[in-house]
Amino acid sequence: MKSWRLPLLLVSVLLLATPAVAEPLDRTSLIAALCGGAGQMGEGASTLIATAVSGSAEERAWAAPLARAVLDRDLACDTSGAVLVQSGVDAVSRTPREAGEKARKPLASLKNRATFELADAALALRSAPDIAARAAALKTLERRPANVPEGLLEVAAASEPDAGLREQIDTLAQTAALNSSDPAARIRALSRVADTPSRRALTKVSALTKDPAYTANAEFRQAVDAATARIERGIAIGDVLATLYNGLSFASILFMAAIGLAIIFGLMGVINLAQGELIMIGAYVTWLVQQGLRYAAPSLLDWYLIIAIPVAFLVTAAIGIAIEAALLRHLYKRPLMSLLATWAVSLFLINLVRVIFGTQNMQFETPFYVSGGVPVIGDFIFTWNRMFAIGFAVVTLALTWAIVRKTPLGLNIRAVTQNRDMAACIGIPTRRVDMMAFGLGSGLAGLAGLALSPIYSVNPQMGQNFIIDSFMVVVLGGVGTIAGTVVAALGIGQINVLIEPLWGAVAAKVIVLLMIIAFLQWRPEGLFAVKGRRK
Amino acid sequence: MVQISRRSLLQASGLAAAGLASPAILRSAMAQSGPVKLGCLFSSSGTMANLEGRLNYVVKMAAEEINAKGGVNGRTIDVMVSDPASDWPLYAQTAKQMLQQEKVSALFGCWTSVSRKTVLPVVEQENGLLYYPLHFEGDENSKNVVYVNSPPASSVLPAVDYLMSDEGVSAKRFFMLGSDYVWPRTINKQLKGYWKSKGIPESAWKEEYVPFGFSNFQTLVNQIRAFADEGGGQPIVVLTVVGSSIPDFLREFANQGILATDIPVLGLDMVEADLEGLDTAKLVGHLNCWAYLQNAKGPANEKFLKNWADYVKTNNVPFSGTVSIDPMVSAYDAVHLWAMAAAKAGSFDVPEVSKAFGGLTFDCPSGYKISMTDENNYVARGVFIGSVNDSQGFDVLWQSDGTPKPVPFSPYG
Repeated sequence: MKSWRLPLLLVSVLLLATPAVAEPLDRTSLIAALCGGAGQMGEGASTLIATAVSGSAEERAWAAPLARAVLDRDLACDTSGAVLVQSGVDAVSRTPREAGEKARKPLASLKNRATFELADAALALRSAPDIAARAAALKTLERRPANVPEGLLEVAAASEPDAGLREQIDTLAQTAALNSSDPAARIRALSRVADTPSRRALTKVSALTKDPAYTANAEFRQAVDAATARIERGIAIGDVLATLYNGLSFASILFMAAIGLAIIFGLMGVINLAQGELIMIGAYVTWLVQQGLRYAAPSLLDWYLIIAIPVAFLVTAAIGIAIEAALLRHLYKRPLMSLLATWAVSLFLINLVRVIFGTQNMQFETPFYVSGGVPVIGDFIFTWNRMFAIGFAVVTLALTWAIVRKTPLGLNIRAVTQNRDMAACIGIPTRRVDMMAFGLGSGLAGLAGLALSPIYSVNPQMGQNFIIDSFMVVVLGGVGTIAGTVVAALGIGQINVLIEPLWGAVAAKVIVLLMIIAFLQWRPEGLFAVKGRRK
Repeated sequence: MVQISRRSLLQASGLAAAGLASPAILRSAMAQSGPVKLGCLFSSSGTMANLEGRLNYVVKMAAEEINAKGGVNGRTIDVMVSDPASDWPLYAQTAKQMLQQEKVSALFGCWTSVSRKTVLPVVEQENGLLYYPLHFEGDENSKNVVYVNSPPASSVLPAVDYLMSDEGVSAKRFFMLGSDYVWPRTINKQLKGYWKSKGIPESAWKEEYVPFGFSNFQTLVNQIRAFADEGGGQPIVVLTVVGSSIPDFLREFANQGILATDIPVLGLDMVEADLEGLDTAKLVGHLNCWAYLQNAKGPANEKFLKNWADYVKTNNVPFSGTVSIDPMVSAYDAVHLWAMAAAKAGSFDVPEVSKAFGGLTFDCPSGYKISMTDENNYVARGVFIGSVNDSQGFDVLWQSDGTPKPVPFSPYG
C-alpha cells in the first residue's frame, strides 16, 4: 500500500465510524431508506438506533414514532416521501398532509423487524415522556441483552430522572459488561447474570470457560464456576416448578371438564355423551356475554369472564334440566338407550351451534388478567390464563363440595346416589333430585367452558376434545366421588406432563390410557369407590 | 274426519314415492345429454369442517362461472356435494359411490394426506379423476390424481431456504412440531435430508409429534423455549400440526411471551382461516408458505375476492365472504383446469381428458399463470411466503419470480 493512502483510509474509516455523532441526521434520506428494499430498511433501522444513542434531543423526538410506525405498518410511502397515516402528517416535515395515491406501506422482513423493535425500544428509553413507557422499553431491551447498542444504557442512565428505573438500567448495563476488558466488571456482570437464571444465561456463562481469562485468572474462574452452579440450581428449581405447574394446570382443565360428568354419572348412572357440548355451550354463552357487554357496557368489557359466570352456569343448567325432563327421565331403566339419546343430543347441539354461529373459531377479547405471564425462576413462566383456570377449578371444587356436603339438596343427592329406592321410601322426591342434580352437573360443564375459553379455541367441535379425557378421570376416580375426581385429575395431569418431554405427546396419551386400564384391572371401582349398597 | 286405513296409506305413500323418484329415474335415463356431474369430497362436519367446508362452495362457484359461459362441450356442470365427516375411510366410500352410482366426471377433494391416501386406490380402480387442492408431501404420482397445489420442492423448501438465508433470519436450528400422520412425518424426513445435505449437524434439530386434535401445548412450548435457549444460532419452529391444533398452539406460544423476532414459526398448514378468533397482534411476523395468499396483488385476485364475497352473499354460504385461503383458490383453479382439459379433449372420458392436460394454462387469482405439462399431473404454481399481520391475515413477505417446475419426488426423503 502506498504511504499516502494510509492517512486517507484512516480518515474515511473515522468518517464512517462517527457520522451519527458528528453529522446531523439526514431526515429525508432516512425516510427514503425506510421506504426502500429490505437492505435499505435494515440500514434505516440502524440509523434510528444510532440516533437513539447519540442524536440530539430534538432528533430523537423526531425519530421516536418512526420505528413503531414501520412495525405497525403505519408509514405510507408515496412519490414525495412518506406519511404517518395515524397522525396524518408528513414523515419528514411533520406538517399535515394526505398520503398520495398508490401509497405503499413497507413490510419489515423478520430480520429487520427485530432491529426495528430494538430501535423502537431504544428511542422510547431515551425520549418517552412517560415512565411506564420507558420501563416497558427497558423490558424489551432486557429480552436481548446481547443486541443492546453500545453506549445506549450509559447515556440513558445519565438522563433518567427516576431513581428506580435508573438502577434497573445500571443493572442491565452491568449484565452487558460480561465481555468487557475490565475483570472486575466482568465478575460483577457474572453475578448479575446469575441473579436471573435461565438456560440462555447458562449458555452464555458456560461459554466463558473457553475464555483465556478463565485459566489465567483464579478469581474470574471462581466467579464463573459459582455463577454456573447458581444458574444450574435455578434452572433445576424452575424445571421442577414448571412441571408441577403444568401438571396442575392440565389437572384443573381435566377437573373442570369432568366434575359435572362425575355428578351426573355418579348419581344416575347416565353416561352423558353431551357433556362436552355443554362445555362448548358454556364457552359460547361467555362469548355472548362479551358481545352483550361490548354494546351495553363497554367499560365492563374486561370483566366479561367474571360477569359471565352466573349466566354460563344458569344457561347450561337450564339446558341440562330440559334434556333431563324431555328425554332422559324416560330412559333411566335403559342405560344403553340413554347413552344413544345423549349422543343424539350432542350431535344436535353441535349442528345447532354451527348453524347459528358458523364453524369458525370465536373471537374473544383477552383481558389483562388472562394474558401473558411472569418469568419466575429458571425457565418457569407463570401464565395468567392457566392460573385463572387453576383458581377457577379450586373455587368450583369448593362450591361443589359445599353444595354436596352442606345443603339439603346435597344431602338428597347423596341419599339417592347410595340407595335410590330407600331414599324414595323415606320421602325424598327422587324425580326432583334427579332433575336438580342433572342441572348442577350441566351447569358445572358450562363453567368449564367459561374457564377454558381463554386457553382453547372456541368452535362447535371443541366439546369432543374433552369427552374422552373426562371419562378417563371419572372412571379412574371412582364414579361419582368429588375426591376421586380431584385425585384422578391431578394424577392424570401430572403423569401426562412428566411423560410428554421424555417420550412425546402421542406416547403420553397411550401410556396414561394403559396405566388407567391396568389400574382398573386391580381396582374396578376406581380410586375412591362409594361405600354403600350399589346394585 | 277422514278415516285412513292402513292399505290406503300404503297405496298413497307408494304413489308418492314413485312420484318423487320418477324425476330421478328420468334424469338417469337422459344422463348422456343432461348436465355433466362433478363430485366434491370435502367434510362439512368433524375436525376439518371449518376448513374443508368452504371448498364445496368454491367448487360450485367455479362451476357457475363456467355454466354462465355456456358450460363445457355444450353441457352445463352439476356439482354433487358429500360429507365424509372428517372420517378417513368414509372418503373412499363416498368416492366409490360418486364414481359408480353418480358417474361423476371428476372428483375434487381431500385436505389431509391421509384422506387422499384412502381415496387413491378407489380412483385408480374405477379410473376416475381426483383434483387434490392442497400442498402436500409429494412422493406420489398417480395418473388418476391431479396435484393442483405444490409438492415440498416448490413450497416448503423455498420457505425454509428463505429463513436460512441472510435476508431471512439466518436460521441455524429447527424445532419440528407436527400432528402424528403421514404429511408431517414425510415433510420432516425430507427436511432432515435437506439439512444434512447442507452440512447442518443432527444436534441442530428436534422433532416432536402430537395426536390429532391435540390442544394442551404448554409443555411443548416449554420444550421449544428450552431448545431455543441452548444457543448455537437462530432457532425456528417448523409447524406441521393441522386443524384446530394450529390456533391452540399459536395462542400458547404468544401467551408464554415468545415473539416472532425471538423464535419465528413457519406454519406449513397455517391459513388465514386459522387466525380467525386469535389476537394476532402478539403473533405478528410468524410465517407460512403457500401458492396463494389473500393479500396477493393483481386484478385476478381482486376479481376472485369480489366474486367470492358476492357468492357468499347471494347464496347464504355459512362461511366468511371476506376470508379466502389457498386451498379455496386451488379448488377453484382445479375446476377451471378440468373444464379446459375437457373442452380441449372434446370429451368427458377420463383417459381423453388426461391426454389433454399438457400445455394447459390458467390465470390463477394468485397473479401467476399456472400451467400443466405432459410429464406428470402436477401443476406449476407460484410460491408465496406470508407474514402474519395484526388483522388476522398474512402480508406477502416474499414471492417467487415465476412458477417453479414442480418436482414430485424429493431427493432428500
